[in-house]
Formats: sequence, structure tokens, C-alpha cells
Amino acid sequence: MLIHRFILLKEKKMKSRQCLSVLVAVLMVLFCAITVQAGGKGELMMATTTSTDNTGLLDYLIPFFEQDTGIALKWTATGTGKALKLGQNCDVDVLLVHAPPAEKTYIANDFGKDRREIMYNDFVIIGPKSDPAGIKGKDISQALSTIKANKAFFMSRGDDSGTNKKEKLLWKNAGIALPDKEGWYVQTGQGMLATINVTQEKNGYTMTDRGTYIKYQDQQGGDAPLTVLVEGDDILLNQYSVLTLNPKNCPDAKYDLALKFSDWMASDAAQSKIAEFRLLGKKLFIPNAK
Amino acid sequence: MAFLIEGFLRAMELLLSGDTSTWSAVSATVKASTGSMLVSLLTGLPCGFILGYFDFRFKRPIRTLLDTLLALPTVCVGLIVYAFISSKGPLGDMNLLFTLTGIAVGQTILAFPVVTAITASIIENIDPALKLTLVSLGAGKKNIILTCLWEVRFGILAAAVTAYGRILTEVGISMIVGGNIKYHTRTMTTAIALETNKGMFADGIALGIVLMAIAFAVNLSLSFLRKR
Amino acid sequence: MTQPTHLYTLCRISHYYGSKKVLDIDEFSIPAGTILGLSGPNGSGKTTLLKLLAFAIAPSHGEIRFNGRREYPMSARVRSKVTLMTQTPYLLKRSVLDNVVYGLKIRKDTKKLKQRAGRALAAVGLDFDTFHNRAWHQLSGGEAQRVALAARLILEPRALLLDEPVASVDAESALLIRQASLAARDKWGCTLIIVSHDLAWLNAVSDTRVSMEKGRIFSTHKEIVLPPPYQTIQTDSTANWVLPISSGRHISLPDKTGETALISADKIKIIQTSENQSDERNRIPVLVTSMALEPKTGDIEVDFDADTFRLTLLLSKEQAGALNMQPGKKSTLVFRTQDIFWR
Repeated sequence: MLIHRFILLKEKKMKSRQCLSVLVAVLMVLFCAITVQAGGKGELMMATTTSTDNTGLLDYLIPFFEQDTGIALKWTATGTGKALKLGQNCDVDVLLVHAPPAEKTYIANDFGKDRREIMYNDFVIIGPKSDPAGIKGKDISQALSTIKANKAFFMSRGDDSGTNKKEKLLWKNAGIALPDKEGWYVQTGQGMLATINVTQEKNGYTMTDRGTYIKYQDQQGGDAPLTVLVEGDDILLNQYSVLTLNPKNCPDAKYDLALKFSDWMASDAAQSKIAEFRLLGKKLFIPNAK
Repeated sequence: MAFLIEGFLRAMELLLSGDTSTWSAVSATVKASTGSMLVSLLTGLPCGFILGYFDFRFKRPIRTLLDTLLALPTVCVGLIVYAFISSKGPLGDMNLLFTLTGIAVGQTILAFPVVTAITASIIENIDPALKLTLVSLGAGKKNIILTCLWEVRFGILAAAVTAYGRILTEVGISMIVGGNIKYHTRTMTTAIALETNKGMFADGIALGIVLMAIAFAVNLSLSFLRKR
Repeated sequence: MTQPTHLYTLCRISHYYGSKKVLDIDEFSIPAGTILGLSGPNGSGKTTLLKLLAFAIAPSHGEIRFNGRREYPMSARVRSKVTLMTQTPYLLKRSVLDNVVYGLKIRKDTKKLKQRAGRALAAVGLDFDTFHNRAWHQLSGGEAQRVALAARLILEPRALLLDEPVASVDAESALLIRQASLAARDKWGCTLIIVSHDLAWLNAVSDTRVSMEKGRIFSTHKEIVLPPPYQTIQTDSTANWVLPISSGRHISLPDKTGETALISADKIKIIQTSENQSDERNRIPVLVTSMALEPKTGDIEVDFDADTFRLTLLLSKEQAGALNMQPGKKSTLVFRTQDIFWR
């Protein structure tokens, strides 16, 4: 039967190009046969950032969501820029990101509808234990100036992610032009853990969120060559929020399910679970939903 | 360096313990690559045959274009497919984004030029005595085509294996079109990319070894066709 | 409707490869059930002619009639009625048995395949049990050619075209191939068209002998080719065509009205060198290089070397005896310019 169809296909191809549509139809049939069609009810698609995903929080937390609400959540982890783009293109239903200025602009542009703060941690500057540039204990602006003065290696994610946006803000805040072309300013274009690894290789400094830093420490078996040197400034706050998409821009996005997710993340149950998530006995995220 | 050895041991561990995330990545890879392999063969073989067998006006430019497509970076294919199947794209209603089917579509686009170009070369290089022999034995057009294809089956097998290699190892399409969603569209290659990006090099190597094991199994089962 | 006696009729055939003319045949017929022997130098168009007769390719111009009807390549009427065997054996990549029965399978003639294959293989001297399962690459050149022949004989074609059938095989295979081909003619009146460089065998076995030269067909032994290159010589105010031969001599040719100069064999006289003739006829000194018996007619084939070209004449036993012909003997050929014609 299949061979019959095979021969038939070939003869048609030789006669005219209309068979292209036949081929496309066969393609669709074959594909449907091989994979189950997704997109059923009760399924939510989320875009989030690599920082969130790499810590393992979602792997831990989301099964509870599915249990409590019966909604299946799938998520893809990319850079913040791409996550926002996916939302803009209506390829996902909800966002979990950590770039407050960008998020607010997003809503102002009618791409996002509701923004709900869920949890936070902070950003820190990490570097070698020996601290060759001598930035330990300084405030963030001083630290960055010192790094620049010493031309010490500083690794940036350079990928317009939420973390990267924050880092650029810090330079601006310190009154320093972004050292884009400097030899000591290394733009990896990769995720946070990858960037930390590059930092370790080159004995440099980098800015990371504390959650990922703890994950990194965990990976290193608790004793990591890089340690926290600068922390605590208010500006180093790293706020995570859930963003629903504006039905005007994305009428097909599952707005009601997205709201349910947003509500659940802010619920007491979820918030306490977030607080319970630890690595090496340390909290990675602090719940702060109102 | 140590992570290479670690990786090998970890590979054993992952395979033998039946680690669910590993096996789901294996299953995703097998599903997507099998689908794309089949379709690219079904479409590529006849097109390659036509391109190699007949002479027509635009033959040369088409061949050149096809050979150029052999060098398409997988990320570019991923982006192009994304543009089409994105919710705001022309084929958005087909709901292919973030699905294995979507990945398979992209991989088919990747493999099609490989199959077609190699098949066309094989057909062009068929011994002219073959067609003469077939005509002498009374073969009509249909039989000539089918018998020719069967006679060059070893070359076509090489085309299939080459295309399969390209499909199995691509990351760009799986990442962009599939979204690397755990248990759903996380394939072996995107899993390797993820673990490597997280700095879990040993895991990256381990999954790489598992991927090679799949490739080996496939080639082994095809070896019976290689009778000479 | 009466069955036409000619299996093939070729009309005004000219065939080109690109801009090069490779065949130029005005009219030629092959009667059914006969054996045609085709010889000629490489590049003379023999293989191309066979391909046309096999309906593998269509002539650039002209028509070929098979059984009285004009036919084209891929025609259903011609398929598996005409088969061609190539010079180097070519088998499909499958077992001997599958090779032999391929033609039958595609014309859906599948009764008692193994038995018929057994008979076909026996006809070429191959034992069924030993050979039927062998793969295509497990045969010697001679065995492969025999299998190829068996694959064609099993179809009982009306015409069997053999292109140097024994050129690449061992002596034993050569014998078996020849026997099987001739048996085909005896059994079902198969017309054989054989191209071979083995002139002795070709002469022995053919009903009709033709030679090819530069895409043209000539009747062997009847028409002698005086081959190019030709030159012109200025005498007074006219240019005359000549064919130069050694020692400053040349053959005078009539005005050029074609490509090739020919003369009918019976217009050539052989004389002893000592004889002196003072007329205006062309005389060329020749050396007898070899003599062979033509078994069919009992005539003697004598090869002459005329320094710049060679020719072959057929003499009766008596003639050969009277002239004291033997290899190494010097002689002179005499003929008139006006008996030479162009084609």
C-alpha cells in the first residue's frame, strides 16, 4: 500500500508541479501520525529566562501548580529579550521574567496586561577569593570603578537578558560608559552559569543573581573558587514577576489560565514553597507577592 | 580533562538507571529524527532522481542552489521555520511551534537538499550500460526508474546516512522551534547544549555518548543493506 | 496480412552526436532469420548502429522500420523483442537467477521461472544449482557474459544484437556464447546482428557481411573502400583528386561527388608484377599479408597491404592458385579511374 503510494507519487512528480500540494498533504499526514497533536485545553505555555530555569526552581515548583489546578504548564527558557519577543508574537501564553523596566514598557506598549511581583533575590558581584582588584566590601559603583581602573577581567552576559540589562544599568549608575570595546570586558553572549564558568576560567569578576550563584556553588560541591565580594546595595535588587499577555494583542493566548497561574504563584501555598526551595541549605528566592 | 572520563561513567549511569529525563530526550530525538528522515527520503529521492536523470533548462542553476543549501546553518533554518509557524506567522494556526512535529519539519528542510543533491549525483553517474541493459530486457519507463533506483541502493543508503547525521546532530532547529521544553521537546542535542551551558560538562559528554549510541544502533541495523 | 521478410528496414538515417555526424545510411534492410556480420574500425559507428537497432536511442533523422512498421524507442511492440548485449558484461546487482528472470518478470511472464532459467543457463553452459544463487560480483568475466546472454535468450527475442560478444571473455565462454547464439537462430528463427573484430569467425557464421567506415555501410568483399585522406593536384588549369600511395605514386580519382571513394571488387584486376602494361589505368603495388579460408563458400580471403591502406579481396580457389598467391608475395592491382565512384 505504501509502495503503491510511493510509485504514484513519483509518476505525478514527473508530470507537473501540482504534486507539490500532494506532497505537503502527505507531509502533514505523516507528521500527524508520528507525533500527537498538542495544544489541548488546560495547557499553558510559558516563556521564562535561563536564570530562573537553571536554578531548578521551576522543576521543583510547577508540579505543585499542576496538582493544585489541573493545568499542565510547559515552559521554554531563553534570554529575557527572546521571552518578551515570544510574548509579543503570541507564541506563549504567559511570561515569568525579571526585568522590571522592560516589563513596564511592555505593558505600556499593550503587549502585556497584568504584572505581578512574585519573588526576588539580589544580584551580587563575584570574583576570585584572592580579589586581585581589591573590590571587596565596596559599594557597587565604587567596585565597578575599581575594576575599570585595574582593567580586571569582567565577564558580561552581553545578551540583553534581564541580568544583562541590570548590569548595564549599574555601569550607567556608576557614571561609567559601557566598556563595550575594552579588552578586559568580556561579553560571553551566553547564560548565567556559562558566564560564571568563563569567569572562573579567567579568574575574573562578574555580576550574577544570587540564586544562580548558589546553584553554581552547589555544582562545585560547595567549595567554589569564586566568592561573593559585593552585595547589599538597593539597586542590586532582582525582582521576578509574572506577566500576562494583553488579549488585544494576543486574542488566542489563554488569558484566563495565565491569570490562574499568576494567582497561584502569589498564593500562600506557592509562596511558602518558593521559600522552602534551597540549595546547600541556602534560600535562592525570597517570596514577595502582595 | 577529568570531565571526559566522568562523562563516560555518567553515560552508563544515565542509561542503566533509566533516568526519565534522559530517556525522554532519547525518545524525543528518535521520534523527530525518524519522522524527518522518512519525509526527506520520500521527497528527496524522487526529486534527486528527476534532477539527475532528465535534462531541462534550469538544471544547472537548480543544482547549484541545492548544493549551496547543503551549507545552511541549522540556526538559520530554525529561524526561518519559526518565522512561518510562529503564532503571528502564515502557518501559525498549525500549532507547530514548541512541538516535535515542528522540529521534524525544520529537520526535513535541513535534510532534503542532502538527499536530493547526493541522489542526483548518484543518478548522473549511473553506468550508461545499465539503462541499455534494462531497455534490452524490455523495461518500460516505470521499471527503468524503479530498477535504476534499486541498483544504486548503496549510494542512496550513503545519502540517507549522511542526511541522518545532519539531522541527529543539529541543535539550532530543535532549540528555536522546539523550545527545549523538558519531557516534551527536549532532544538529546538541546539537552547537551543546556547541560554544557550550565557548566555540567560531564553530563554534556554523557548525553553525547548516548547520542552516539543511538547513531551506532541505527547504522548497525542498516549494515545488512551494505552487502557490497 | 503477409509477414514482411525484412525484419529491419532503415531509411535515410543520419545520426549526430552534437554536430558530428556518426551515421549516414541511405537504405539498408536486414531479412528476418538471417545472421548479419558487421565489422569495421573503432569509431565507425557500429555500436551506435546497434543502439538504434535495439531502439535504445532514436536516430537524429530518418526512420527505422521493424516488421514493416516504423518504431520508436520505448515502443511496446518492440520491447523484449529486440535485445542487445554489450561488449563488457553488465549484470544487475542481484543474484544470477534474478538477473536471468528479470526480463520475464517485467513482462509478467512468471510461470515456471526456475525451470526456464535452468534451461537458459544450460544453453550457455552454466549449471543451475551451482550458479543460480551466486551474486553478480562472484562471477568471472566469461561467466557474467554468459549469464547476460542467458537473460536475453530466455526472452526468445526476434532479434539478438551482439556487440563484440566474445571480446572480453575466456575461450571456453567464447565457444559457449557462440553456440548459444547460433542455436537461437535455429530454434526460433532469431535474427542475429553481430559486431566482431574476429573476422574469421564473422565470415564463417554470417549470411551477410557488411563493413562500416565513418558511419557508412559497405558490402564487404563486394565494395572496396579507397580510404581518405584525398588530395588535389594541379595540372594545367584543372584540379584533380588523387589518393596518394607511397613512392610518389597516386591513384587518380574521378571528380569528388561524395565522402568516400569506392570501387566494386570485380573491377579490380590482379596481375603479376612482372607484367608490363602501358595503358592509363591505375596500378598499385601491393604485398600479400595473409590469406584465410572463407568456410561458407570455400573462397580465399586475401589481405593486401598497399602501403598507405589495406584492402581485402575474395578470390576463388582457382584464381588464387593461378596467380600463385601466397603471403609475402608482391603483386599489382590494376583498375580504371572511371570504375571508381564516390559515396
